[in-house]
Amino acid sequence: MQKLATPSNRAQGRSLSKSTKYQASTATIDSSSESMMTAIDIANFNAFYGTFQALHDLNLKIPRQQVTAFIGPSGCGKSTLLKWCNRMNDIVPIAHATGSLKVGDRNILSRNTDVVDLRRQVGMVFQKANPFPKSIFDNVAYGARLHYKISRSELYELVEWSLKKAALWDEVKDRLKSSALGLSGGQQQRLCIARAIATGPEILLMDEPCSALDPASTARIEDLIFELRRQFTIVIVTHNMQQAARCSDRTAFFFEGKIVEEGATEDVFTRPQKQQTEDYVTGKFG
Amino acid sequence: MKDPINEPREYRNDARRKMFSSSFSVTCLLVSSLAIVVLATLLLSIFSTGGGWLSAEMLTASHRENNPEESGIGQAIIGSLVICTICGLAALPIGVGTAIFLEEFKPKNRFLRMLHGLVQLNINNLAGVPSIVYGILGLTAFVYMFGAFSPIRVNDQPDYEIGATYSYQTKTLGGNYVRFPATPKIQPFFEIKQPRQVSSSEGQPFKLNVVSATTDAAEYKDKLEETVILGTKAELTSHNGVESYTTQTLGGTTVFFKAEPTYSQFAKILEPLMVSDPEGNTFELNVLSKSDAIPTNPEVLSKSVFADSPDPTKRSSASIFRENSFFHMHLPFSKSVLSAGLTLALVILPIVIIASQEAIRGVPQTLREAAFGMGATRWQVVRSAVLPSAIPGIMTGAILAMSRAVGEAAPLLAVMGGVLGTTNHLSSLMDKTPVLPVTIFKWAGDENQGFEHLAAAAIIVLLAFLLLMNSVAIFIRYRYEKKLA
Repeated sequence: MQKLATPSNRAQGRSLSKSTKYQASTATIDSSSESMMTAIDIANFNAFYGTFQALHDLNLKIPRQQVTAFIGPSGCGKSTLLKWCNRMNDIVPIAHATGSLKVGDRNILSRNTDVVDLRRQVGMVFQKANPFPKSIFDNVAYGARLHYKISRSELYELVEWSLKKAALWDEVKDRLKSSALGLSGGQQQRLCIARAIATGPEILLMDEPCSALDPASTARIEDLIFELRRQFTIVIVTHNMQQAARCSDRTAFFFEGKIVEEGATEDVFTRPQKQQTEDYVTGKFG
Repeated sequence: MKDPINEPREYRNDARRKMFSSSFSVTCLLVSSLAIVVLATLLLSIFSTGGGWLSAEMLTASHRENNPEESGIGQAIIGSLVICTICGLAALPIGVGTAIFLEEFKPKNRFLRMLHGLVQLNINNLAGVPSIVYGILGLTAFVYMFGAFSPIRVNDQPDYEIGATYSYQTKTLGGNYVRFPATPKIQPFFEIKQPRQVSSSEGQPFKLNVVSATTDAAEYKDKLEETVILGTKAELTSHNGVESYTTQTLGGTTVFFKAEPTYSQFAKILEPLMVSDPEGNTFELNVLSKSDAIPTNPEVLSKSVFADSPDPTKRSSASIFRENSFFHMHLPFSKSVLSAGLTLALVILPIVIIASQEAIRGVPQTLREAAFGMGATRWQVVRSAVLPSAIPGIMTGAILAMSRAVGEAAPLLAVMGGVLGTTNHLSSLMDKTPVLPVTIFKWAGDENQGFEHLAAAAIIVLLAFLLLMNSVAIFIRYRYEKKLA
């Protein structure tokens, strides 16, 4: 799972993964029923900040165990939608939403949704790496300690599993007790991913996870996203169109609070249906 | 408008601009050095007045009336430390809790939001209220508790009390003290009419005899130290190198009188005569004629009291005696260290709250998001993400607030009175104690010049104390900054 950090290896790995990826996803779509395959079902969804309407009447199905990318210019509402998927907008006092946003079978917008349990199932990785000022071990163990009764040895195994999944284990296995703030930016972001997957979520939301990273670290995170796709449903918001093209199966293009176009990544980038999409993905605006 | 590039404007006088700038910086330097000069003058005058009076004895002794040479601030230092501890223990949880409520638990409901804003506004205003006002508040709230309980009177049992045992104490004819438990309803005095079970001050239980008081015996009741029974034997001994007879009075005192001429080993006392006690005081020894009225055996005397007499002044009455354990408490708190500590907590509460709010606000929002995103509840976010990062700031603020509390005199004068010295050591929270600032205040105004010097010495101690607390605050901040970086 751990890839060597040399550029040639990485490039090779990525091109390999890309060719196999599309085949895999197409195959699964054909062989399963649609409801089984939908992780998040968004219908007639409107989101507001006070009186300002950020999202207008969205309808979107996010498929299971695939990477869905949200692209679009700043302020188009893609991060807002992402944050509604695990109710992170609850922190913002003036935010509210209408319509239906189903994770699994339940509408999470309903008043009696248990947000604590929801966030255990729907993990989140933020734009800026935000490890706690604690040790690396405590960071990864944080979610497990919140949610589960877990023995010390089991916790250690879980931390090791998560760090291996996040391709960070080899770099930190000798200093699990040292502060997470001593890691580099890219390592911190992978630590945040390890922390998010340690609670065993079904869905992983990523809000521009690479926007603060250098190209080498970005490439590692993208590799990681590709690896994790087999086990988690991943939704990623990105400003970087190459990134969306490289690592996502499906793409949704947002503009001024509406979804302009949504479909398989290849289609959106190579055969866009709408003029706005074409202008955006070819770099005419945005 | 002129074209900024092709039509250059006239420059302002460059030299004048620069001169103004440099002269302003000189002015700033002068103003700030003025503050340092004032501080230096203050320190110099205090050290020259009180430096010579600072000594180990002065740090441990307690206040003595009209005797500055032997007075000290031992009790005051302990008192200040205890009150400061109470103040910190009370102010810190309430202050940090309020700050967490104000910063982390902002309500969504519009009405509650208004209430929330009102609390915030009040706290900001309370930070500027003079401390004497808090003194009066403490007097009402803690000392008298809004008159909800009956006030505390000397020698009377408060309505709500724990940690105190009441007993009656009386002096036997032998001069030793005995005690017996007070009945549920206590009175200042209790008249002993019948023999009863008592215990000595060492805790030895025995039966107390009651001796009928004849007029004669009752007359000498209060002078038993100077009284013997007619015919008491005196033994020949050597006292200060002189051949003397010695005997014990009914009160247990040993007395001596000159043996002149020496006839025998023993003498019988048959008439009043001049005697001296071991300290050298001379007085006339009373001789009680009716030897059958009171027992003569010292052991029996030590277990006997007079019975009730028709004359109230000659009654053998026991007075109420209270023993306080360390957890002695009563309601209202009356004028005590607990009231003083809680009042000081009120004084520093706004400061602690504002400092804690600043520290909590300083915690990056990304940390909260991280914890919320992991599925932490609001309290778990506070406990595991916000507080660990805010603790250094909170501790610094709390210590600085407490160093203000240590120097407060006005509220303590209101809630504890101007205590300079107490006979007993501080044993429970219901005691009073002298404290440094009040001691300084009282001494500085004393007619005796010596106390002014002593006050200056006490100020040096107080300043050292404040300096120590501030350095601890700086140390904590430095350490955590290093740890978090």
